[in-house]
Amino acid sequence: MRLSTFKYLPGQLALALVIFGLWEIAVKAGYLSAYLYGFPSGIAARAYDLTMSGEIFGHAAVTALAAVIGFVIGSTLGSFLGLSLWLNETVAKIVRPFIVAINGVPKIAFAPLIIVWFGIGIESKIAIAAALTLIVSLIATYNGTLETDKDLLRLMRSLGATRLQMWRKVVVPAAVPWMLSALRLNVGFALIGAVVGEYISSQSGLGYLVYYSGVLYDLNGVWVGIIALMVVALLMDRAVTELDRRMRW
Amino acid sequence: MSDFTPLETKDLSVTFNPGSENEVIAFTDINFSLKPDEILAIVGPSGCGKSTLFNVIAGLQPATKGEVYVDGTRVLEAQGQVGYMLQKDMLLPWRNVRDNVALGLEVKGMATAERYEIADRLISSYGLKGFETSKPGTLSGGMRQRVAFMRTLALDPDVILLDEPFSALDFQTRTLLQSEVLDIIAKQRKSAILVTHDIGEAVTMADRVMVLSRRPGRIKHMIDIDLSREERDPVKLRNNTKYQEYFQLLWSELDI
Repeated sequence: MRLSTFKYLPGQLALALVIFGLWEIAVKAGYLSAYLYGFPSGIAARAYDLTMSGEIFGHAAVTALAAVIGFVIGSTLGSFLGLSLWLNETVAKIVRPFIVAINGVPKIAFAPLIIVWFGIGIESKIAIAAALTLIVSLIATYNGTLETDKDLLRLMRSLGATRLQMWRKVVVPAAVPWMLSALRLNVGFALIGAVVGEYISSQSGLGYLVYYSGVLYDLNGVWVGIIALMVVALLMDRAVTELDRRMRW
Repeated sequence: MSDFTPLETKDLSVTFNPGSENEVIAFTDINFSLKPDEILAIVGPSGCGKSTLFNVIAGLQPATKGEVYVDGTRVLEAQGQVGYMLQKDMLLPWRNVRDNVALGLEVKGMATAERYEIADRLISSYGLKGFETSKPGTLSGGMRQRVAFMRTLALDPDVILLDEPFSALDFQTRTLLQSEVLDIIAKQRKSAILVTHDIGEAVTMADRVMVLSRRPGRIKHMIDIDLSREERDPVKLRNNTKYQEYFQLLWSELDI
């Protein structure tokens, strides 16, 4: 794993270099407007300024905090609800159409509502991130419980297990891989939630940086914000990978 | 002791979708009783209701009519009174060997130390010492099936139900496990029902073979297999003339 990651590194660096090189040349030669697209050396200069002033770290911290807290709340609650739905088939059948309906709607459409309820501070960003990740975890984990091997449940029944015992000893561990793949998706959803919240209304965060740089036609600033978001996403993904490694059977 | 009947069925019948136009009688009027230490094999053409009969005896599925008694007590719902082993080993992949063997005891609410002691004793007496903390995914098919058998034995049931437990194994592993299971059942004085489609396996392992007819399944024949435990070596048995006669007899009884 480690080795193969590094094996392709030269190729990956070369690809990035070619893309950025062509971009820079196209802008310098006047084929692309720096005003509309930004350009690599300008992005680097902007990144340097924002790093030296420490501004980028402040924004990144705000967004990462909102995304991580939202992720933890949403994923935990969603996984727990998804697992619990297995325990009561009647409740599951009743809530199913509602879950499907909510899942069908782009959840981002609820963002203005959440801002109205939670205000323009970090709470609303946390709430949006939590709402998005909750639904993903709930659906994935519940589907996981439904995929439990019927023969394993029969075996448990033949041993005289109660429904709660079957849940704890078979259904929950069997759903762990499903729960973990939902977490992976949720890294993206949590960041979407936090950033969209910041787009709509905020005074800080990477979403704010990207949005206001865009409004001011500072395209290099937009790119710096996007790159910083990628770094945050990569770090969160790394943490989930570690969790995955420890929890997967 | 002579009155002790580990398992008995009375007029056992199962009908699917009774009263509707797609009513199917799986089997009907199944009456038999199992003697202590006896292994009874059930053979029959596919679709004769073998597996359904198995599920009813295990208490996993209600009978439409009739009753099942284990040690004289009527079975209404599974409570681990009968051990149960299938073609699939059904080990929990996230549990190690010890925790898989102890599963039934854990369900019963036995304390950890106590159930680990029982599990470890079984594991070392059936040749898997050193694998206590291995995950099932790292074991061979034969080893996994052996773990499944230990899980069945851990609850110390008087009756063990075996539903084609060897059919997914290669020949060598199968014959080895067959004689192991024979030994264990004899030594621990258990009774067993073996559902199989393999006539050779039925003759090798059973004291009595029940032949079911085509659907609706009825008991067509009960054949006593008069072979001593010593004669039942799965490999030597193939050249035994009695084995060959029983094999031919059962083959002709089956409506295949």
